[in-house]
Amino acid sequence: MSRIKATVQFLHAWRHPYEIAREVETELRFHVEMRTRANIEGGMRPDQAQLAARQSFGDFDRVKAKCCEISRTLPFDSTLLKMAMYITIAILAGAAALWAVNMPHHSFTGVLWQLVAIVVLARAFVVGRRAISTKQFAEDRASVFVTDVERFRKDKGLPSDVCEAHSVGIAAHDEQGRTPVERMFKSE
Amino acid sequence: MSKSKAGLLQGTLDMLILKALSLGALHGYGVGQRIAQISDDTLKIEEGSLYPGLYRLERRGWVESEWDVSDNNQRAKFYKLTRAGRKQLIIEEQNWERLAGATMKALRAS
Repeated sequence: MSRIKATVQFLHAWRHPYEIAREVETELRFHVEMRTRANIEGGMRPDQAQLAARQSFGDFDRVKAKCCEISRTLPFDSTLLKMAMYITIAILAGAAALWAVNMPHHSFTGVLWQLVAIVVLARAFVVGRRAISTKQFAEDRASVFVTDVERFRKDKGLPSDVCEAHSVGIAAHDEQGRTPVERMFKSE
Repeated sequence: MSKSKAGLLQGTLDMLILKALSLGALHGYGVGQRIAQISDDTLKIEEGSLYPGLYRLERRGWVESEWDVSDNNQRAKFYKLTRAGRKQLIIEEQNWERLAGATMKALRAS
C-alpha cells in the first residue's frame, strides 16, 4: 500500500515540481525555526541563535535540491522500465526510419512529419532519461556525529566545531537496497 | 579539547531514523532530537542530512508522511513508520547485532 502511495507521490512530484519544492522548503524552514527557538531557550541572542541554527543545518539549498530530486525518482527498481523505454524508442525510431524511406522525398509534408518525428523521439528520450534516474538508490553519504558525552552535554545548544572533528561517514542503502552491514556479509 | 577522530560507526542513518520513528510519529526536527535522546546524546545527526534520509525511506515505502500542526501551531510534515518499515527495522537490527557480535568476537580473540 505504501508503495502505491509512494508511486502516486512520485507522479505528483513529477507533474508539480514547484509545489514539491515549496513543500520541501516549508519543511526545512520549520526545522531551522525549531532549532533557532531551542537555541534561544538555551540562552542565545536571537541573531546568534538563528546563525547557529543555519550553521548546524548545513547547506540549505543543497539539502532542498536533494530532497526534490529524491521526490522525482521512481519508488521502485527502474531497470526493467528503463529497458522497456529503450526498446520502445528503438522500435519507434525503426518505424520512423521505415516510414521516412517510403515517403516521397520531394514532399514538403513528408519532410515536415519526419522532422516532427525526430523531435518527438528526442524529447521522449530526454524526458525518459530524466524521469528514470539511476541515482535513486545511489549510495548517499550522511554524517552522524559521535561525540564525547560529557563534552557534548556541555556544548549542547551552542555552535561548535566539535562536529567537524568527530564526523564519521555512514552509508545508506546501495543500489540493491543493502545496508553497509549487509554488504559486509554478502558472501553468506 | 580532544580533536581525536571517532571510530567508524558501523550503522546506517536509515536504521536510526526507523528506530526513532518506531516510537511514534515525528516531524524531521523531532527525529533528530529523538535520536540524540535515545542515544543519551551520544549520537547527533547532521541536521541537513536527515531530510534526504527521510525522503529516501518514504520512497521505499518504509515511512509515510502527512502535513499536520505542530505543538507550537505551525504547519509541519510528520513522518510515521509503515508496516514494511517495521519489518525493515527488525532486519536492520538483526544485521546490526550480527555485526556487533562478530566484531566483539574478533576483538576478544587472543
